[in-house]
Amino acid sequence: MKKHLITLSLLLTISLLSFGQGKDELRSSCVMSAGANAKFLKDFVIQLGSDAVQNDFRYKANIALWKNTKYRFNLCSATDSKGQLILNVKDDGNKVILSSFDKKSGKTYPYIDFICQKSGMYQLSYDFTNGQQGSGVGVVSMVK
Amino acid sequence: MKLKGVVILIIALTSFACRNLSSKPTEFVFPEIDTIPVSEAQKLSPEAIADISKNISSPVEIANMLLNLDIPFSQSYLATSVDPNKLSTNFDKAIKLGILGADLGYLNMYEKTGSSLDVLSSIRKLAEDIKVGQFFDFESIKRLSKNKSNLDSLLFISIDSYTKIDNYLRENDRGQLSALMIIGVWIEGQYLATQVVSKVPNKMLMDRVGEQKIILNDLIFLLVPYCNHDSEYSSLCKNLQEIKDKYHDIRITFTQGDPVSVEKDGGLTVTQTETSVVEMSKEQLDGIIEITKNIRNRLVINN
Repeated sequence: MKKHLITLSLLLTISLLSFGQGKDELRSSCVMSAGANAKFLKDFVIQLGSDAVQNDFRYKANIALWKNTKYRFNLCSATDSKGQLILNVKDDGNKVILSSFDKKSGKTYPYIDFICQKSGMYQLSYDFTNGQQGSGVGVVSMVK
Repeated sequence: MKLKGVVILIIALTSFACRNLSSKPTEFVFPEIDTIPVSEAQKLSPEAIADISKNISSPVEIANMLLNLDIPFSQSYLATSVDPNKLSTNFDKAIKLGILGADLGYLNMYEKTGSSLDVLSSIRKLAEDIKVGQFFDFESIKRLSKNKSNLDSLLFISIDSYTKIDNYLRENDRGQLSALMIIGVWIEGQYLATQVVSKVPNKMLMDRVGEQKIILNDLIFLLVPYCNHDSEYSSLCKNLQEIKDKYHDIRITFTQGDPVSVEKDGGLTVTQTETSVVEMSKEQLDGIIEITKNIRNRLVINN
């Protein structure tokens, strides 16, 4: 039992360290994947363990989005992630206004463009498909 | 003790009132409690403070809007009077670090990268003075500016440097300097928008100025724990309250609608049909332009 625990701890440490090293590369490549007409605003580095029973997306952040602006949300998962990074955006009425994951078909989108017409506070919620373990980067940029 | 807990909960709920409503709001209103007691604001968790500081809008958004509206660049909007060698207090250094950060965003957005080198040098000096110089990637920003190469990389490294400084200050019990930096960024962005709108009365830009009401309370919330620190802090708290007073009667209403999604090139495009509508008179706008100019100029000139 003790041996298993030590092995598990070592594996966890190694995976954390390896993401630490690759994190900046993933951030840079994700920013670049937004495209030449995108202007960087913010990024979120997400690292989550496995949680199959989760009901809601686990990583949350608030952001002010402004009317008459087209935002692009890019989602990049590290190669060793079990699941794909997905995103829900809720408005101040707690209503989901966009999702990068289609529950019915199981399809995930690598990016979403959002044409904002209502200025306000929005909640970005990130997770990995089926509550799986994963690490990734979510980038928010503006596009013309 | 129980009562204290309830008070904290009420304050937290009212401060985040615009975020977690179960029913759809049709109008944005400032939280009922107009002034947050200092002692209670101090008890908010670092996570809540971090959340607030992260969601204040980026200065490049205003600059980007001006660029999209074909508003010509003007050097006169920049805080050229700031001399980092003449600043004595950390208050001055931190707030000007924010002001110059917004100027850097404006310069970068308009690709006036040659002019940005002076601003960069000032930023480096200020960052070093408050012991956060290690987070400002001066050489990379300078290289990207000189080469006029990738604007996105330049924006990424510039914004990332500020984010790292902000995180470090908050994690090392220097949250007051982080708050000042963020407020500096916002005031300069607001100054830029209001100066342009005073010359070019564009409706979209006017609306953006009016919509700042949405984040104003959060901004004030960041500074509240430090309002009694010394005269510099209390004066800035008073200034922000003056701006808030100017915004009090500006109405922001919302219309309802469902978003429309279209799949295109492997991605998804979502168009919002709900809208926000700003009702602001010319007098109200003039009041905001005036108060912003006075406060910003006082901060910039007062070396």
